[in-house]
Amino acid sequence: MSEFSIVGKHVRRKDGLLKITGQAKYTFDVVLPGMLHGKLLRSPLPHAKILNIDTSKAAKLPGVELILTGKDTKGIRYGFVDTPNHPAEERPIAEEKVRFIGETVAAVFADDIDIAEEALDLIDVDYDPLPAVFDPEEAMKDGAPQIHDTITRDTSCAWEDWGVARKTHSYTPMNNVAARVFIGYGDIDKGFAEADYIREDRFKIPATSHMAMEPHCIVASWNPFEERLDVWLNHMAFELKRYWLHKTLGIPISKIVVHHAYIGGAFGGKAPVFDFEIIAGFATKRICKPVKIVLTREEVFSSCRNSHRFDITIKTGVKKDGTIVAQHTKVIVDAGAYKGSAPVAMFFCHAVGDPCLDRKNVRHEGVAVYTNKNFNFARRGHGSPQMRFATDSHYDQICEDLGIDPVEFLLKNLRKKGDVLPNGDRLNSYGLPECIRRVAEEIGWKEKRGKQRNMNRGVGVGINGMFSGSAYWPFSCAAILKLEHDGKVALLHGDCEFGQGAETSYSQIVAEVLGLSLEDVTYVRGNSDVWPTNYSNFLSGGIFVGGGAAYNAAIDLREKIVKVASEILRVMPEEIELKEGKAVSKKDPRRSCTFAEIKRYNIQKHMGDPLIGFGYKKAVPEIEFYPSLSKGTGRFTDAYGFAAAAAEVEVDKDTGRTKVLKIVVAHDCGREINPGTVVGQMYSQAVQGMGDALFEEIMDESGRIMNPNLIDYEIPRAFDVPEIVVIDCSDPDPNGPFGAKEAGECARAAVISAIANAIYDATGVRVNRLPVTPERMLNLLRAKDKDQ
Amino acid sequence: MEVQRKAVQKKLLKIRVNGKDYEVMVKPNRTLLDFLRQDLGLTGTKQACMDNSCGACTVIVDKMAVKSCNILALQVYGREVTTIEGLASPDGKLTDLQEAFLDFNAFQCGFCAPGKVMSATAMLEEMEDPTEEDVRRDMEGNLCRCTGYKQYIDAIMYVVKKRKELKQQKAKEV
Repeated sequence: MSEFSIVGKHVRRKDGLLKITGQAKYTFDVVLPGMLHGKLLRSPLPHAKILNIDTSKAAKLPGVELILTGKDTKGIRYGFVDTPNHPAEERPIAEEKVRFIGETVAAVFADDIDIAEEALDLIDVDYDPLPAVFDPEEAMKDGAPQIHDTITRDTSCAWEDWGVARKTHSYTPMNNVAARVFIGYGDIDKGFAEADYIREDRFKIPATSHMAMEPHCIVASWNPFEERLDVWLNHMAFELKRYWLHKTLGIPISKIVVHHAYIGGAFGGKAPVFDFEIIAGFATKRICKPVKIVLTREEVFSSCRNSHRFDITIKTGVKKDGTIVAQHTKVIVDAGAYKGSAPVAMFFCHAVGDPCLDRKNVRHEGVAVYTNKNFNFARRGHGSPQMRFATDSHYDQICEDLGIDPVEFLLKNLRKKGDVLPNGDRLNSYGLPECIRRVAEEIGWKEKRGKQRNMNRGVGVGINGMFSGSAYWPFSCAAILKLEHDGKVALLHGDCEFGQGAETSYSQIVAEVLGLSLEDVTYVRGNSDVWPTNYSNFLSGGIFVGGGAAYNAAIDLREKIVKVASEILRVMPEEIELKEGKAVSKKDPRRSCTFAEIKRYNIQKHMGDPLIGFGYKKAVPEIEFYPSLSKGTGRFTDAYGFAAAAAEVEVDKDTGRTKVLKIVVAHDCGREINPGTVVGQMYSQAVQGMGDALFEEIMDESGRIMNPNLIDYEIPRAFDVPEIVVIDCSDPDPNGPFGAKEAGECARAAVISAIANAIYDATGVRVNRLPVTPERMLNLLRAKDKDQ
Repeated sequence: MEVQRKAVQKKLLKIRVNGKDYEVMVKPNRTLLDFLRQDLGLTGTKQACMDNSCGACTVIVDKMAVKSCNILALQVYGREVTTIEGLASPDGKLTDLQEAFLDFNAFQCGFCAPGKVMSATAMLEEMEDPTEEDVRRDMEGNLCRCTGYKQYIDAIMYVVKKRKELKQQKAKEV
């Protein structure tokens, strides 16, 4: 029996009724009176000087209200990474040149979309094409086209605004290098010298689309009298968008109001600020009318962020028995025209792997390179799916070479609960060993591994670790809990709902602490005027940081309620328990008072105090700013979530098609607050991981995306879904609310590795490049046949 | 230089939407989706792909599930259209499918949910006793990125089972 009354119960979503009846309002649905519609003119060339833009014809089109070009927004800079060493270089509209196909060159705002689209056709842009470069290794060569000159910031950088005591300086990318990381611990030379066996492999992973169902959009409305900007937008932490709108538009941050709107999926792809969002803010401020921009699916592919393109070389030294003694990884990230989050991805791909296995002596080198392509951002794992696919495939091959069982190999190299990682993070909870054992058992590892090749079937395993929020300043969250007159509570919390279930699970946490039912908790869908600080939605910090703040607010209110109840009932506070909306004496249950009575009493007797709970939480209490991305030093997170996956596949040797028969995901999310939601996250990651492994790839040719739609870019459909089994191996974390930690990002990577390794088991063909399309599989099978 | 827009002649559309009759003038190039969302304010029907590949815009025309982004409003002249807003009864009672989607935690972000409800509603009108395979095939046109489809499929199969039980029970009573 569960020790809890509502935590751990499968309950209906708080946002469910609105969503299932079509009443939920997404940004996509917001309409304001007199609203104009914006459309963006995109660059058709990957690299070109802009000689002239003639907007005169477009301006004369009846219904066109405003046209913006790079001259209007000149000098505005922003970016996810904006540090003293690496100042931001993104701009809302291209200025002197364009750097990728799809970059914004002009924006038109008109009475309706048809007019705005017609106006785009009437804008004449005179380009002078420049030599372009699309391959990161080519881009690093001497004499390659230089995509950026010296990057200079006219204003402070974000980190200065956030309190880092260093001045921004200019950065000149030499050989198109946007950033580097160099992380290491131990002594790899000594480690490799001790190794009995050393192997090196290279892997390539393409860009993929987050493909959130709701296309990116914004509604912005400037009120010139109050000098306030109201916005509805897709975000993953309203504070981040609000900061950048403030910074780029010169509006005081308290005068920017982000309104509640449901978000139609995110997966990382909606966290950073986008050109069109700043353009919308700029436009409404210029013309004092509301504006709306909705991107087309093609624009989402070609002009919004996709996942990072990785080229990974990995070398590992092991003892005969499979003990890892040294590892050297080198990653090249094909960043695209702007750096986006490439510096972070290079760091993450090391940092989230580090809690999984003890590799003893490690060096991780990364370089992010500018190319004339669209640039990238985190997608559900932020570099870890790419790295795990490489690492787990590489381990699988080492096991094959040495005749070791891959599951035994993983179990042999595990860290231990309580271990302190080289960066100072401590594994207070560590469910990974159990996850590995359970997935192996469920897939039938012992009976099947290496024994089904005659049937073209195989099984494989993969693992992953993931943080529960990190110290992206000010990565913290606060919550306010109002006791209402009827004894119910209202939770003021700024976490947005993009499907992860924040409304429901935070309400469960509050209800559990206060002895209320889920219906007694209202999740306030307000706006940034009333939301306390919130930065916790992205970086997998939802339940640990956001839920932690809700938990702390509930504890605060609980203490206050108990104190008043003790006064009313004349019993000691420790003798009072809260249940069913009442404070009850444990000794004499007949002595009780309702929360409504408690509120009324307190207002009457205690100066009108209406009883409000307040709570907050920081991702990593000990550190003030971000860990060093380039050196990998400094605390990263307070709790890691873990997952292991196993897959069984069948490969058709005539068509090259891989059919996934079964996926098993075991996860350690600390505690399932709402099992329905957590299991949903795992199904989701199993199916996304299958898409990554088998068919998702953004294909480009000379900088042009060749499949920017859902017909040519395939994602899994209902028919593709295999049997999926989810196993809960949670190890409650002492710092999480009821032990809960990350659940939403970790498993995807493990599933990709499991499928790739299962393909090897089925065919004897090692896949070094994703996705494993039938065509690639056939080529690999033929090459193998030739070899033999 | 004069820049002029081509004049577009609006045409009369007679249509019944969620039980209410409309006679309105619409542009010939107005899609059913835009007509529902923009002219009638029925924003429960969503749009995600713009090229007939995702199913978020699915509505029911007469008894058939139709992707409303890929059909002109004038093409459904005289027909009866049901959107997600027209499913629940006026007193707020949901359909058994809606209830099951809630119970099974079938959707997450919810953007594809209205289209899925409409597709499944039409499917179960057409097929009384579909297998899980049938359901997977039929729902193939409705993309979802959050859920991995599993809880949707489970919810639909649950409804199939419940309806069958209900029918058997009624048959017994008769």
